[in-house]
Amino acid sequence: MKILQQSRWILLPVVVAALITLPLWGPSYWVLFILLCSLYLAMAQMWNLLVGYSGLISLGQQCFIGLGGYTLAVLSVYYGIPIWLSILIGGVISVLFALIISVPIFRMRGVYFAIGTWIVAEALTICFASWDYVRHGMGLFVKPAYELSLNQIYYAALAMGIGSVILVYILLRSKLGLGLMAMRDDEGASETLGVEIFRSKLFCFLIGAFVTGLAAGVFYLYQIFIQPYTAFSITWMVRLLFIVVIGGIGTIEGPIIGSIIFVLLQQVFAEYIHVGLLLLGSVAIIVMLVAPKGIMGTIQEKLGFEILSPRRK
Amino acid sequence: MQDLLQPIMNGILLGGLYAIIGIGLSMIFGIVKLVNLAHGDLMILASYLSLVFMMLLGVPPLVTFVFAVPAMFFIGFVLQAYLINRVLGKGMEPPLILAFGLSIITQNCLLLVFTPDARSLISSLSVTTIQVAGFLNIPVIYLIDFLIGLVVISVLHQFLQKTYMGRAIRAASDDEGAAQLMGINTKNIYAYAMGIAMITAAIAGVLVGMTFTFYPHTGPQYLTIAFGVVIIGGLGSMIGTFLGGIILGLAQLLGGYFLGPGLQLLSGYVILLIVLTVRPQGIFGRVT
Repeated sequence: MKILQQSRWILLPVVVAALITLPLWGPSYWVLFILLCSLYLAMAQMWNLLVGYSGLISLGQQCFIGLGGYTLAVLSVYYGIPIWLSILIGGVISVLFALIISVPIFRMRGVYFAIGTWIVAEALTICFASWDYVRHGMGLFVKPAYELSLNQIYYAALAMGIGSVILVYILLRSKLGLGLMAMRDDEGASETLGVEIFRSKLFCFLIGAFVTGLAAGVFYLYQIFIQPYTAFSITWMVRLLFIVVIGGIGTIEGPIIGSIIFVLLQQVFAEYIHVGLLLLGSVAIIVMLVAPKGIMGTIQEKLGFEILSPRRK
Repeated sequence: MQDLLQPIMNGILLGGLYAIIGIGLSMIFGIVKLVNLAHGDLMILASYLSLVFMMLLGVPPLVTFVFAVPAMFFIGFVLQAYLINRVLGKGMEPPLILAFGLSIITQNCLLLVFTPDARSLISSLSVTTIQVAGFLNIPVIYLIDFLIGLVVISVLHQFLQKTYMGRAIRAASDDEGAAQLMGINTKNIYAYAMGIAMITAAIAGVLVGMTFTFYPHTGPQYLTIAFGVVIIGGLGSMIGTFLGGIILGLAQLLGGYFLGPGLQLLSGYVILLIVLTVRPQGIFGRVT
């Protein structure tokens, strides 16, 4: 373990280089696998930032997933706007939406915040399902995405995955990150010491919305079809929650391990979705009973092993 | 004006059912400090249990209370005693995630056993209506929902006020440490509280099955209704819960009347978000 930790600055670039060159030497199944892992990682890392570091238990990240996906679909299909620009605008729209709902949502605390964000997502589902402009519940096909090769989508996804890890790493080692962790540990004490609680939380919420919206855009390039009942579904939260909980809440490495396990399980149980979901639920419960800190959290506690530490030595 | 009376009537009657759906969530929220995200799914589990008893024994749906209520009490007691109690006091996320896990498990078990087909607990009660004043049609089942709602809320109120168990439950909810010092086994009390909450879920489940159709995945929809009732009514107030149910029922049916049936749920959510923003402790809730 010690050797692994000391040689991380050699190991990490090797892993990243391997991932970047993967389409050149790996089978296309692996490319697909890493593509999905990276996208789930990006979304899960953002939820981890909210729950594990800012104390904002959001159950409404699917708002931004749906908005990102629908913006891509509407702009590229209806208006012929280039795909990558559409995805970027999707991220911006997610941030704007997050900014608007933050006014009422940030008046709620703890559990009420969780319920409030979920209700917003449910309300969005109904809005999109009864909106003539986006063809009600029938959904939209992102036809321009057929022109893209798998490799192009892969690099976009990989950029989102690696980018989200770097972003969180930088954020947490900044002044903001120190403030966030102080706030998570004791809100009152950190406020007295001058941490601007409201602004820090809002900043994380907006960043989370932006990255989640972008990742969703890339996801729907791969998925092609978008429909309100799946795009704004609470199932998204089930997935993100599983990934973060299994990997370890409040660790940067946790979502990486979690998303690999999740996509692996998803592939194995692809034909038996309900058995797979059953298993996800059971594993989440068992982890909560046995090791509430998740895989990485437990390893860090027992062995002091960290690859990407937000702490400055 | 006469057109408007029908949705108002139905909304008020439906509110009684919503109150039973919400009261179990409210109890556990108040006593165990747990947001039982599986409440809606466990309620739908009761609907399916009732369906099984109906088919096995050939009894009318209302009779299945006799079987569904003890079964759900047992399930609630065991869940709390052997699972949820273990993660209490370990921060906010573990219990929440455990409940979420339970919700996923219940939904998918139901899906595997009962297939995704729509079910309902059919009886002659579900289709009969009473005509009042020549223009109001009151569905008998809505009337039953409302009356059982009133009974459940008043019995629960009396139970919490008058019995030893009720007082112990309230003591554990007010101050866990002090209750323990007075010789109350709070973990045990929590298990009984969950059992009682599941009794209300069983009653709600059977009534929902008689009033509407249900699927394995309708649980979360009723969970949001339960949240609505709890948030509008406020915690710790029985009358508040009942009025919360009625307000939500009215909001939904009047919303459906003015905006079209597709937006019925939306109007409920909007009312909910407004209450959450303006008065997070609920209209009838105490300020803590």
